[in-house]
Amino acid sequence: MIYGIKRITRYLLGTDIAGRSLAVYPDDTFIVSYPRSGNTWTRFLVANLLYPRETVSFANIERLIPDAEAVSSRYLKRIQGPRIIKTHQYFDHRYPKVLYIVRDPRDVLVSYYHFSRKFRHIADDFPLEKYVHLIVTGALEATNWGTWAENVGTWLAARHGRSTFLLLRYEDMMADTHAELAKVADFFGVGASPEQVQRAIDNSSADRLRELEKKESSEWVATRNRRDDIPFVGTAVAGGWKNKLPPESVAEIESAWGSIMARLGYELVTQRAGHTGSPLVAAAGFGKRQE
Amino acid sequence: MIRHLVEGVKRGFGLHSPGRNLAILPDDIFLVSYPKSGNTWARFLIANFLYPGQHPDWGNIDRLIPAPEVMSKRDFEKMARPRVIRTHDAFNPRFKQVIYIVRDPRDVALSQYHHHRKRKLIGDHHPFESFLPGFLAGETNVHGSWKQNVASWLAARNGGPKFLLLRYEDMLLDTPHELSRIGAFLGVETTAERLSMAIEHSSPKEMRRLEQLQADDCGLTKGTRQDLPFVRTAQSGNWRSDMPESSVAAIETAWGPLMKFLGYELVSGDQAGPIESAFPVSAMGGPVR
Repeated sequence: MIYGIKRITRYLLGTDIAGRSLAVYPDDTFIVSYPRSGNTWTRFLVANLLYPRETVSFANIERLIPDAEAVSSRYLKRIQGPRIIKTHQYFDHRYPKVLYIVRDPRDVLVSYYHFSRKFRHIADDFPLEKYVHLIVTGALEATNWGTWAENVGTWLAARHGRSTFLLLRYEDMMADTHAELAKVADFFGVGASPEQVQRAIDNSSADRLRELEKKESSEWVATRNRRDDIPFVGTAVAGGWKNKLPPESVAEIESAWGSIMARLGYELVTQRAGHTGSPLVAAAGFGKRQE
Repeated sequence: MIRHLVEGVKRGFGLHSPGRNLAILPDDIFLVSYPKSGNTWARFLIANFLYPGQHPDWGNIDRLIPAPEVMSKRDFEKMARPRVIRTHDAFNPRFKQVIYIVRDPRDVALSQYHHHRKRKLIGDHHPFESFLPGFLAGETNVHGSWKQNVASWLAARNGGPKFLLLRYEDMLLDTPHELSRIGAFLGVETTAERLSMAIEHSSPKEMRRLEQLQADDCGLTKGTRQDLPFVRTAQSGNWRSDMPESSVAAIETAWGPLMKFLGYELVSGDQAGPIESAFPVSAMGGPVR
């Protein structure tokens, strides 16, 4: 009952979290990804690129590129458009323009494992293999973002190929940040000089984000009151799973999501990885991505 | 402001429609389709199959198999389980058991065009050619485009054990067979008698008869033009005679690959569409960049 009253009061005051039911406007752009796929880095890159006069930090990122799951519906409504909003939502047909970031799910799960420990969703000594199994089968769902394959698959199936949908791979962003960020600048319709792009990259480097996190973790909604011994800004490398993920876990991920991974250019290492994750792809008889 | 307050008080008593915030139970079954794809017929079939004693009609169908946007939160909580809930939503990971009905988008477009006339959104002389671009862009209803709705569900769930994909056309061709598949999916014992009773009570003729008596009792038909029936032709392939050739070509250009994947024959020559052809060829299959 008390919970009910709280909820209604929040709704009336507009202090309820925006989340999935946020009001969408035609000039909105969304930065979307499954969690732990480079979304925060991308937010900093985009904020530094679009708002060069601001010193972008964890203290003001929620004002510049708010997180739909962290701010209230009233707050989001009052932001002057065109808004750029960060979210981890699976496909939402209302989002007019979407920058979607995808990352190798083997790295995503390693990163998510540490993140779940940081947020105390799992115990410190929770076995990694068990964690991977629960995530892949969808048994462990702290939030309603779908599985990795559902999140990535629905967006790609519904939107890929449109001019209002930009797909970036985290690995490509790591390998050639400059080229990928130039695509982002085009997508947002801003003419950015190579110097401006470079400045945005420098201001968003992993080292700088780590430094900011140390100073400002209590000022940012995502890190406030969380364990300080595990950083939010993770290793920021691609391919770390090769040393960290047991072969059985790799096999499990590839067996479930192999066909989408292959389509995205993520090389499968397990022999005869199954195609159960996306029968559509199998039915259509497609192999690997053509470079 | 006042409206906001009224809405808040409604929430206090659970009288609001839960919509996206519906509390989902593990044994819920969702009947999902894009609008105008046979969802209402399927609801009558399933309701007559599951609850013959309730005599499903236009007056109670919204309570027997309700929509989260229509029925109140409180009534949802009072439903007998397992609940069958209908929706037009695109993919939602919280829906674990899903019956998805898909229909040839060429017929969907025609049906939605006539539905817009019935709802007085367009006049009788509004040309179909002017309606189509909005339909393709997903602007003619709040659920987005046909392609995005179908593609999001297929990409996430097709082939899975708790996902039953039905084509409206197959349901028309062999209703007993398709309804028995639904029965098996629902885990309900299927007898020939039970099937034929359900089908008889859900025939277009019977649904139209009830619609005439009860048009004001159902949110789907209330306040709409009574000279145009909600239950229209209940046929497949009307686009072949009723749709301009250029419109057929436009739909096939936009969504050809997905239509082919679903077994809908394409009739216009070149379907090398530029934008929406992305699925499944390029969304999941073709070059990613």
